[in-house]
Amino acid sequence: MIRFILNRVLMALPTIALVAITVFALIRFIPGDPAELMLGDMAQPAQIEALRTELGLDQSLPQQFLIWLGNVLHGDFGRSIVNGEAVLPLVLERFVVSAEVVVVAVFLASLIAVPAGVIAAWRQNSVTDLALVGTATVLLSIPTFWLGLLLMLFFGLKLGWLPVLGYVSIRDNPTAGLLYLILPVMTLVIHEAGVLIRMARASTLEVLRLDYITHARAKGLSESAVLWRHAFKNAFGPTWTMIGLILGNLLGGIAVIETVFTIPGLGRLMVESIFARDYPVIQACLLVVALSYVLVNLVVDLLYPLFDPRVVAE
Amino acid sequence: MKKILLAGVALLAIAGTVQARDLVVAQSSDLRSNNPGVNRDGNTDGVILHIVEGLVGYTNSGEVKPLLAQSFETSEDGLTYTFKLRDGVKFHNGKVLTAEDVVWNWTRYLKPETKWTCLNDFVEGGAAPVAGVKAIDASTVEIKLTKPSAVFLGLMSRPECGYTGILSPDSVTADGSFDKPIGTGPFMWDEWKKSEYIRLAKFNDYQSPDNDGKPDGMVGSKRPLVDGVKFMVIPDASTVKAGLESGVLDTAEISPDLIPEFQNSDKMQLIVARNNGKNLFYFQTRDKVLSNPGVRRAMAMALDLDQLVAAASNGTGEANGSMVSQDSVYFNETQKKRLPYDLEAAKKELDAAGYKGEPISIIANKRGNVPSYPAAIMAQAMMQQIGLNVQIEVLDYATQVDRRRSGNYQVISQSVAPRLDPALMYSFYVGNKDKNASLMWDNPKAVELMNAAYAEADQTKRQAIFDEFHELMLQEMPGIFLYDMVDVWGASKTLKGVPVWQSNTRLWEVSLEN
Repeated sequence: MIRFILNRVLMALPTIALVAITVFALIRFIPGDPAELMLGDMAQPAQIEALRTELGLDQSLPQQFLIWLGNVLHGDFGRSIVNGEAVLPLVLERFVVSAEVVVVAVFLASLIAVPAGVIAAWRQNSVTDLALVGTATVLLSIPTFWLGLLLMLFFGLKLGWLPVLGYVSIRDNPTAGLLYLILPVMTLVIHEAGVLIRMARASTLEVLRLDYITHARAKGLSESAVLWRHAFKNAFGPTWTMIGLILGNLLGGIAVIETVFTIPGLGRLMVESIFARDYPVIQACLLVVALSYVLVNLVVDLLYPLFDPRVVAE
Repeated sequence: MKKILLAGVALLAIAGTVQARDLVVAQSSDLRSNNPGVNRDGNTDGVILHIVEGLVGYTNSGEVKPLLAQSFETSEDGLTYTFKLRDGVKFHNGKVLTAEDVVWNWTRYLKPETKWTCLNDFVEGGAAPVAGVKAIDASTVEIKLTKPSAVFLGLMSRPECGYTGILSPDSVTADGSFDKPIGTGPFMWDEWKKSEYIRLAKFNDYQSPDNDGKPDGMVGSKRPLVDGVKFMVIPDASTVKAGLESGVLDTAEISPDLIPEFQNSDKMQLIVARNNGKNLFYFQTRDKVLSNPGVRRAMAMALDLDQLVAAASNGTGEANGSMVSQDSVYFNETQKKRLPYDLEAAKKELDAAGYKGEPISIIANKRGNVPSYPAAIMAQAMMQQIGLNVQIEVLDYATQVDRRRSGNYQVISQSVAPRLDPALMYSFYVGNKDKNASLMWDNPKAVELMNAAYAEADQTKRQAIFDEFHELMLQEMPGIFLYDMVDVWGASKTLKGVPVWQSNTRLWEVSLEN
C-alpha cells in the first residue's frame, strides 16, 4: 500500500514539473508587463525599468525560471508583485476558502445524484427516467454564473432569506458562515448533480444488463436488494472516479462562482493575478491546483477497492 | 429549513446593528496597500483620500487651496513656499499636528527607500525639485524649490502622490517599516479583511478646513456624517447591482447600461458626476499612415462627435474636443473649438493626404467602466463613410497598456484618469517620443508650450498658453478628444450627498437617512 502511494506520488512529479514549466512560460508569453501595470499612467520609462530590475524581470527567461525553481524547492514561492505578500500562505488561505465550498457542494451533489442516477437506470425509459435525465441535461447545460445570479436574485432579493454578497468564514462564525455558503454551494450542487446523474445512470445501466443481475432476480431477490446490494456496488466505481475528477477540477476552477458571490477563494485570486500579471501568484496557484488534483485522485484510487474489491491498490 | 434560514438572517441582523450606521460602498478591487502614495492604484487612492490630508488640496474647478495649511505664501522669485498650519488639527492618535510633523513627512517622502510614486517630480530633473523643508516655528513650514514651478502645489495634491498626506510619525514602526496610516482626515483606519473589505471609522475630533458649508473637491466642508465606511471588494457588476437592490450596499459605481433602470427605480437613485478624466482616440503620430496630419484631421472631421458621445456615454457625456476639461477654470470659448463634422471636407483632406485605403487599426478593450469599445465601434462606422479602412482590435487591458508603452499601435481608444491641472494632463500625451515611446505627440512647439505651462504661475498667462496649445492641436490632431469622463453611480434613496468626486469615492458630507 505504502509502495503504491509512493509510486503514485512519484508518477505525479513529472506532471507537476511539466505544469510548472508550462505555466511559467505561457504566462510570460502573454503580452503585458507587471511593472507597467503596477506603476500606472504616471510612470516614466526609467521607473518601469527600475522596477523590472527589482522584480528580476530583466533577466532571461531560463535564468528567471531557475531562480524561481530553486526558491520553490526551498519552500519559498516568492512574494506577490501586486501587494508584496508572501505567496504560499496567501494561496493556501484562499485554497481553504474554495475547498470549503467545493467539498460540501460535491458531497451534496453526490448524495442527490447517485441515487437519482441509479433510480433512473432502474426505471429505464419510464417517465421517471425521462424526467431525471431531462432535468440532469438541463442542469448541466445552465452556465453557473447565470444560475448563481438567478438564485441570488430569488433567494437573496425576492425572498430576502439569504445574503446576496459578502463573505464570512465558517471558521470565524459558523452560523453566519453557513448562510453565506448556501447560495454558492447550491449553485454548484445543481450544476454538478446534472453531470453525476447521467454518469451514475449510465454505469448502473451497464451493470443491470449483466447476467449476475438476472441471476439475482431469478433467485427471487427483491428489486431493492438487487439494485443496492448487487448492482450499485459495481456501478458506483466509474461514478466515484468522476466525483474525484469533479472535485479536483472544482478546487481550482470556481472563479466564476467566487466572483459572483464575492468569495475570496483561489479561483478569484488566480483571475485577478492574471489580469495584474502577478507571475509568482499565478504560478503558485496553478501548482497548488495541480497538486490538489493529483492528491484528490490518489485518494479516490486508494478508496476504490472499498467499492470494487477486484481493484487492488498495488 | 426556512426557520433555520430566518434564524440565521435574524442573527446577522443582530450582529449588524453594532455597525448599523456604516455606509457601505463597493469597489472593484482590493487595496494595493495602506501606505499613501507608495503601492497604489485608483481604488487605493479613493480609500486613502478619507484618511490623510496634505497641506493643500484641489477644489472642484482644479484650483489649489489650503487644506492642513491655514494659508500659504509664495516668495517673489517663486522658490520659497511658506505654509501656516491650521491651529489644533489632531491626528487620529490624538496628537496635535506640528510643523515638525510636516518636515518628518517630507523627509520620508523624499527618501528613495520610501518608494513614493511621485518622488521623481520633486527631485532634481523633476517638475518641482525640492531643495529643503524646514520648520520656522511650531505652526509654520517653509519649502524651498531649486526652480520656480507653477505645478508644485498641484503635484502635491495629486491622488497618485497619496495627496502628499501628512501622517503621524507613529504610522511607522520603530524599525522603519510602515504600519498603518494615522492621518488627520475625517475617517480613521480601522480594519482590512483582505479581498473582502476595508473599514474606516469616523474621526470624532475632525476639523474641516475653512468652508462655506459645502464640499469642494478635496477641501471645503468635510464632516464625517456616518459612524464608519466600509469598502467592499466586489469585482462583478451584476453582484454590485444585486447588492444595491438588496440594500446591502448603499452606493457603488454601476455599469452605464443600468442608467434607465436606476432612473426609474423607487428604491434607488442615479448619480451622474462629470470628472476631469478624458476619453480619446490616441494616435501614433509616427505611424506610416497616421504621421500625415491630413489623415488625422479627416478622421476627426468624419466623426459626428455629439452623436458618438451620446451613444458611447449612454447620454451622460458631452462632447469636448479639448485636452482641458470642461470643469476647469481654463475652459473658455477657445477650448470649445473643434473641427467641424463635415464628410465632404474630410474626404478632400483624405485625398490631399494621398490616402489609398491603407488599414487603420483601433485598439479597444471591453472593461465595463470605460467607453473604449463602444466609442471604437461608432468611430469605425463613421470613418468608413469617407472611405477609411478602419479595423478594431480588442485586447485585454494589460496588453493594451503594453502596446501603448512600446509605441506599437496606430490608434487606441483610451481613457485617461483625471488630472486637475491642464499642464499635468498634457504631460500624459506630449513630450519626447524617443525617450518615452508611450507619448502621443512630440511637436516641438507643443512641448515648448507644455513646459511653459509648467513654469508659468500667472493664471492669465497660463490661459494664453493653453489656448495657443489648443489651436495647434486643432491643426495637427495628434489625437481625437471625445468627452470628459463621467462617473455613473447608483445609490439607495436614503443616501444624501454625492459619494464620488473625480472617479474617487468621497464619503464625507454623505449621510444615510432612515
